[in-house]
Amino acid sequence: MNKFLAGLLLAATVSAQDARQIIQEVQKRQASKSQRYEGTLEVRSSENRVTTKRWNYLRIGDFGNSKAMLRFTAPPEVKGVALLIVNHTDRASDQWMWRPSIGRDQRIALQDRSTRFFGTDFSFEDLEERDVDQFDFKLLGDENGMWKIESKPRKSSQYTYSYQWVKKDNYTVVKIEAYTKKGLARVIDYRDYEQIKGIWTPKTTEVLDVGRKSHTVLRYDKVDFNIPVKEDEFTLQALRRES
Amino acid sequence: MKVNRTAGLQTRAGTPVPAASRARNGQVGRGTIVPLPIVILCLLALSTSAFGQAFQERGYIENQTLIYPETTPNDSGHVVNETLLRWEASFQAYSWLKLNTALDARFDTHQQVEREWRLDVDDRSIQRPAFSLRRISATIHKGKFTAELGRQFIRWGKADILNPTDRFAPKDYLSSVVQSDFLGVNAARVTVESGSNTYDLVWQPWFTPSRTPLINQRWTFIPPQYLGYSIQDGGARYPGGSQYGARWNHVGSGYEYSLCFFDGFNNLPSFTASLLGPAAATVTRYYPRLRLVGGDSAVPLPWFTIKGEAAYFDSPDKNNDEFVLYVIQLERQVKEWSFVGGYAGEGVTKSLNPFQYSPERGFARSFVGRAAWTIDPNRDLIFETAVRANGSFARMQYTQAFGQHWRGTAGAAWIRGDMSDFIGQYNQNSYFSMAARYSF
Repeated sequence: MNKFLAGLLLAATVSAQDARQIIQEVQKRQASKSQRYEGTLEVRSSENRVTTKRWNYLRIGDFGNSKAMLRFTAPPEVKGVALLIVNHTDRASDQWMWRPSIGRDQRIALQDRSTRFFGTDFSFEDLEERDVDQFDFKLLGDENGMWKIESKPRKSSQYTYSYQWVKKDNYTVVKIEAYTKKGLARVIDYRDYEQIKGIWTPKTTEVLDVGRKSHTVLRYDKVDFNIPVKEDEFTLQALRRES
Repeated sequence: MKVNRTAGLQTRAGTPVPAASRARNGQVGRGTIVPLPIVILCLLALSTSAFGQAFQERGYIENQTLIYPETTPNDSGHVVNETLLRWEASFQAYSWLKLNTALDARFDTHQQVEREWRLDVDDRSIQRPAFSLRRISATIHKGKFTAELGRQFIRWGKADILNPTDRFAPKDYLSSVVQSDFLGVNAARVTVESGSNTYDLVWQPWFTPSRTPLINQRWTFIPPQYLGYSIQDGGARYPGGSQYGARWNHVGSGYEYSLCFFDGFNNLPSFTASLLGPAAATVTRYYPRLRLVGGDSAVPLPWFTIKGEAAYFDSPDKNNDEFVLYVIQLERQVKEWSFVGGYAGEGVTKSLNPFQYSPERGFARSFVGRAAWTIDPNRDLIFETAVRANGSFARMQYTQAFGQHWRGTAGAAWIRGDMSDFIGQYNQNSYFSMAARYSF
């Protein structure tokens, strides 16, 4: 009996370790010191109304401990609005927004991280980078050449658990199903992978907000990694200076 | 009541400053454009075609109609319509140099905007200029060092309800006390970042006042005992000296705060009145010296973000009140709702009761709240309120985007209270508003 329990425990540990190792390998293969892209967002509501937005994205630092600057370039009425995200390994990110009409940076209150980001189907939490140590993982099995992994957040999150599908051949995440206490909340698909500077990169991300029945498609253009970027481009002064 | 305007207000220049005091203060004639703005404008114009990537522009044209159900003793108008064209552009000339400009062009139905073909560069006119250079500046950036020279917008403070420390930010209160726009200032600003600390130094050699409501219009409250008076606008005595300030901001782990110092002049006027006869008076603005120390902070907590801001206003000339203004506010985001609520307070340490125009003190001793609901990516609904002991204000606004360029806004503001209260004195100024904006 003891041997049986020990075996079960060992199996669970190995499974957890495997899942963690897989996610660590995913993050390792996607690691970059900096990143840049131009994003086009198409938000399609349940009534089929379509809104298009564009932004420029710039990131510096290691995964989970990075800084990112996001500047809207379209539509005209949000042109110049910018968001500075400072990710932390041990807690939720700090975020400041710049609105040209106010002319001042404002710290964003994000007690409810399930808030939609600028009218898209991404929540603020979806935009954060979370270190592997902030989750418990479990390998659930194999499906069509992909690992299915369950992740449960150790710290506060809108999601109680998520399923991720990771391709075995190149360690890319192709799908995430995120669940809240009420059930399935979001489905995120990563598509059109291309290798850019040796990093497998999705050129399209589609988010389905299950409750609202609305979609957001984010297309990435001019993606580049490990470009020369300075730390002083990710400060409150840069937020003001460049907007 | 009969309210006159002095001849000075009707001149081409429109400056209410008497000639003698203008010469005394060494002011440049209004509309004068110094060479730097010309150079920057020329560079920006050239850059449109020559340097597409480095050139950025945005702007909008907006038409707004305000409908006032009630008239006031000094304003019989019910409808005010205004059109504003705002254009902002910047040109990254080098990695370390950026040139910025912003221009406004306005027209209205209520004589709040001048009817003159001139480009205003100092925002000292009593009416709004028809053509105004809001910003014309050069931003120099190298490592931790950033400097902006020229006409620019400088905002200090962290609170959203009221910003007592925001001393380089005069406002245009001409057509509404409850909704005002910021005016640029001619200044040199140097910012140095060192780790989590930011040091900000500002020198403003040329004073820019807040623009106050016109005497013959509804946002100037005439006390009932003076309703029979002929009141003339005697213009303004602008201070000749410069003003400066310094601010230190620290961003810590889960909190941020700043301390600041300001030495200069209050951009909100005090008044002197001289009797011209038994029922006639001239009112002249002046801008008392002001020294201020203050601070602000923001602390995100699990349930709320707490923001606070406070400043002590000292009168070095001992001819004005000395007081503390402070704000404490809580902020929370719940799904598509954002809530801000707090209290703006005041403590007077020395009271001389000068005759002054001060919306920021007028909105003190108030409970203020704001709720915004993002209905969907195109539609927002906003509620705002300020409640004092003897006056209150509530505003609702619905706004909807149509396609990529158009936005429509409809709203209403409701003002109630006693004439003894700053908000309450505008109890005949409740209004409906409609606006259409095309952004480009």
